[in-house]
Amino acid sequence: MAGTSNESAKAEMIDLTKLSPDQLMQIKQEFEQEMTNIQDSLSTLHGCKAKYAGSKEALEAFQPEWQNRQILVPLTSSMYVPGRVKDLNNFIIDIGTGYYIEKDLEGSKDYFKRRVEYVQEQIEKIEKIHLQKTRFLNSVIGVLEMKQAQAAKLLQAQQQQQTSQTA
Amino acid sequence: MDKNSAALYKKMQTEVESYQTLQKSCVKMVKQRALLESQLNENKCVLDELNLLGPDNKVFKLFGPVLVKQELEDSRQNVGKRIEYISKELKSSSDTLENMEKDMLKHREAVAKYQQQWQVAAAMK
Repeated sequence: MAGTSNESAKAEMIDLTKLSPDQLMQIKQEFEQEMTNIQDSLSTLHGCKAKYAGSKEALEAFQPEWQNRQILVPLTSSMYVPGRVKDLNNFIIDIGTGYYIEKDLEGSKDYFKRRVEYVQEQIEKIEKIHLQKTRFLNSVIGVLEMKQAQAAKLLQAQQQQQTSQTA
Repeated sequence: MDKNSAALYKKMQTEVESYQTLQKSCVKMVKQRALLESQLNENKCVLDELNLLGPDNKVFKLFGPVLVKQELEDSRQNVGKRIEYISKELKSSSDTLENMEKDMLKHREAVAKYQQQWQVAAAMK
C-alpha cells in the first residue's frame, strides 16, 4: 500500500499546479481523511505496544525465590483473592486467534520482547507514511492557496476594469 | 424541448442514484477487506510463533471459556489452512472492489455526459 500511494503522490506532484481548485479541494479532503485513519492506527499501535511492554515488565519483576509466595489474584479489576505461586517457570501466553502457548520464563520474556520490537517496527513504518502524506498535503494546501490568491486578484482586476469602464 | 430535458434529468438522476448505492457497498467492501487483512496478519503472526516452538512446548486453543490442549503439528496445519482461506477471501473481495470501482467510473462518466447534454440543451433554449 505504501508503494502505490507513494507513486501516485509523485505522479500527482508533477501536475499539481494544473489541477483546478475544486480538484485540489477534493484531494485535500481525501488526504485529511487518510491522515485521521493513520492517526487512529498509530494510537492503536501505541496501545498494543504498551500492553506488550506491560506484560514484559511483569515477567521481569518475577524472581526465582518467589516459589510459594502469597499473591493477590485479581478476579475483577477491583476484587482479589489470595493465592500462591506454584509454578514459577511456566507461563501461558495468548498469541492470537484463540491459540495459547506454554513457555518458560526466558521464552516468555523473549516473546514479549519480539512483540514489542515488531509493533515498534510497524509504528515506524506508519510514521514514515504519515510524514510523506503530511508533506504532500502541505504542498496541496500551498498550491490551493496560491490558486485562490490568483483568483482573488483576477476578480479584483476585473472589478476595477468594470468600474473604470462605467466611470 | 421541455419533455426532452425532463427525460434527460430523470436519466441523470437514476445514474446518480445507482452511483450512490455502489458507493455505499464500496465502503462496506473496503471495511470488510480491512477486517480480512487484519485477520490474515494475526494468523500469520500466530503461525510464525508456532513455527518457533519446539516439541516440548504445549499449545492450547480457546474454545469458549476452556483451553484445550492441541498437538503442535495440528495447530500449524489449522492456522496454515486459515491463512489460505483468508487469502482467497481477500483476493475475491479485492476483485469485487475493482469491478465496483470500474462500474462507479462508468456511472460517473454517464452523469458527466448527461450533464453536458443538459447544458447544451439549456444553451440552445
